[in-house]
Amino acid sequence: MPALKKYTLIITEKPDAADRIAAALDDTGRTRRLAENGVPYFHAKSKDKEVIVASALGHLYTVASTKKGQWDYPVFDYQWVPRWMAEKGASKIRTWLKVLSKLAENADEFIDACDYDIEGSIIGYSVLKYACGGKENVAKRMKYSTLTREELQESYANLLPRIGFALVEAGLARHEVDWLYGINLSRALTLAAKNNSGQYATLSTGRVQGPTLKYLEIREKNIRAFVPTPYWNLTAKIQIGERQFELEYERKAIENKTEAQAIAKSCKTKEAQIKQICVKEFLQNPPVPFDLGTLQSEAYSLFKYTPMRTSNIAQHLYVNALISYPRTSSQKLPPAIGYQSILRKLGRTPLYQKLAHKLLAQPILKPNEGKKFDQAHPAIYPTGNLPEKALDTAERNIYDLIVKRFMAVFGEPALRQSIKVTVDINKNPFFFDGYRTLSEGWMDFYKPYVHLKDFPLPLMFEGQKVEVKKVTLKDDFTKPPLRYNPRSLLKKMEKEEIGTKATRAATIQTLYDRKYIQGGDNMAVTDLGFEVTEVLNNYCPSVVSSEMTRNLEQKMEQIQLEWETKQGVLRDVVEILKPVTLTLKQKEADIGKQLSYAVKKSRLEERTVGKCLNCQNGKLVILRSKKTGKRFVGCTGFFEGKCNTAFPLPQTGTIKPLASPCKSCGHPVVRVWTKTKRPWSLCINPRCPSKEPKKR
Amino acid sequence: MSCKICGRTVKENGYCSLHLKAYMNIVEKFKVWSEASGVTWMDYLVEISKNSLTGEWAKDVSKQLIEDESRNVKEEK
Repeated sequence: MPALKKYTLIITEKPDAADRIAAALDDTGRTRRLAENGVPYFHAKSKDKEVIVASALGHLYTVASTKKGQWDYPVFDYQWVPRWMAEKGASKIRTWLKVLSKLAENADEFIDACDYDIEGSIIGYSVLKYACGGKENVAKRMKYSTLTREELQESYANLLPRIGFALVEAGLARHEVDWLYGINLSRALTLAAKNNSGQYATLSTGRVQGPTLKYLEIREKNIRAFVPTPYWNLTAKIQIGERQFELEYERKAIENKTEAQAIAKSCKTKEAQIKQICVKEFLQNPPVPFDLGTLQSEAYSLFKYTPMRTSNIAQHLYVNALISYPRTSSQKLPPAIGYQSILRKLGRTPLYQKLAHKLLAQPILKPNEGKKFDQAHPAIYPTGNLPEKALDTAERNIYDLIVKRFMAVFGEPALRQSIKVTVDINKNPFFFDGYRTLSEGWMDFYKPYVHLKDFPLPLMFEGQKVEVKKVTLKDDFTKPPLRYNPRSLLKKMEKEEIGTKATRAATIQTLYDRKYIQGGDNMAVTDLGFEVTEVLNNYCPSVVSSEMTRNLEQKMEQIQLEWETKQGVLRDVVEILKPVTLTLKQKEADIGKQLSYAVKKSRLEERTVGKCLNCQNGKLVILRSKKTGKRFVGCTGFFEGKCNTAFPLPQTGTIKPLASPCKSCGHPVVRVWTKTKRPWSLCINPRCPSKEPKKR
Repeated sequence: MSCKICGRTVKENGYCSLHLKAYMNIVEKFKVWSEASGVTWMDYLVEISKNSLTGEWAKDVSKQLIEDESRNVKEEK
């Protein structure tokens, strides 16, 4: 602990931010990193005043039941407690809080410098209130959107007189509401299954999780119950000069076979005529600045990064002062961020030099802003700082995307041309399209991320005769709806206004963790996911209702605007949950039966490595011998006395079945993870030809 | 009572809520198939049971319906 008389104590969200703030505020250039019991904090001197910058470690406090040791529901009495008291494995938090309390003893001024959003506000508020001994009412607030030296110094020089209590109230309400939903509903599901089967399995649902799973369930049901219907489509190939073009018949789908065949028959000719050439020029506006949702969506489509991964990378770039605060829903870039200064800084990098100078040469810099607005932060933009350490590939990709997007929003609209050519084949209208970019405008700044492609056409004139190479009649079928992917699900959640920009990605991850969904690009609901949704649909439909969740979301936003109170919202939530928990309790036996069956099935599926190639009937599952305790793969037919097939397995490490069978022998393949070796794939067949020593 | 396909609780027609949805789709879409290509009920069931675009539950139900039809034909003989 420093032997200082009195000092200003600044609280940040994470140690990285504390380090950066201390370095920015220090006038002497001698920031000191100190630590007590492994908890780091930083000493700086700003205008002759000693400053200690200490950090939280994310959330240090959480909501917990006031009744200890009772694992039951309904639960409506709760309190905010240090995380180490409520969560296993959070003992580090205890030491952390002790150090913060000690540092608060000698401080005469308190500043909350956590991120200026709901989560950051709760972190700062709870540290000031509980760890610093009720300093939340006297503390001042630093508000910033980037961790650059200039902005931090400006923010410190212009402190807000109080912490944002409206934001804190909204955040507390959100955590308490989510806790009430989560604890009551998850306990109801888990206990129902446990009381029925005697086996424990974590089954959870929540205010946002329930409706999100329902979107997936509705889509999955439509896919699994889908019946395709036939249709026929006609295409033609024509030759113009050296090039051949694929033409589509005017009607995309002909629903009757006889009619389709008759049209195809009437197209049998060697010559066709260009009937009409329709040329249109149009302006394609630049994209809008990134908010977190659009960044996650673009990163998924370009690099296949999950929303969670993009969010984590963006947070890392922010902490390194390379980009502005990423958890924003704004698509606005106010002039105050200093467009020219950022572009000048970016221009120092050879990679962006040419583009930055091109923009700086424009008479006016005006971004093409989107509709969304966030009162706390602007859209995501690069600070112009150069990376202090080399970025890894993923970080470089996201950083480059953010920089290019930032520059593209200042670009001129692109001028594009579309050409639709109608061709008459024996009085049957066919067409083909072409596209051309006449002036690149903003696209020049957004390469290689521009999605629009050109398809130029040769010179043609109306009445021109062209050669018909081929007319094809193809039978086809209607397609089932596409499964959600992380990008489209995130968009759906945004559209339905459920969850927040900061929590949506984590909600999707929870659905995977609970094994309610599987697959990456094609998110499919598992049987367990179906059962959980069906239970919720049948016994408490309000819990999976988007409308109810949206209304609640709006009310919580109104707390931030001081149009609604936290108490009012919580009262409503208890009124919603009381009858729901009562019904769940009354129907516990039925629910337990349904869920236990699904849990059992899900566990069996997890252990299933594939079909038995010997009996062709049973499934090969990972089992443990009652006699020896050893792990092996055996056929389920053994339990019916039909098949004795068994294969040995490694006895240590984690084993997971892989989807594709062995290329050499067709037997199932498993993936093995051990502490000492790199993970490897193993064909379960000991006599697999791939295992034979290679002949020299 | 249990669903004749998966063993879950029956909702209607001997099917659970999930397979019932598939059954209703099958019945509804037969009209479209019949108007498009004049296919018979049995041929339709065979076609959709083989089609890779048919959903998993719809395939289960179509196979079940084929078995039922074949059994009925045998019994009639």
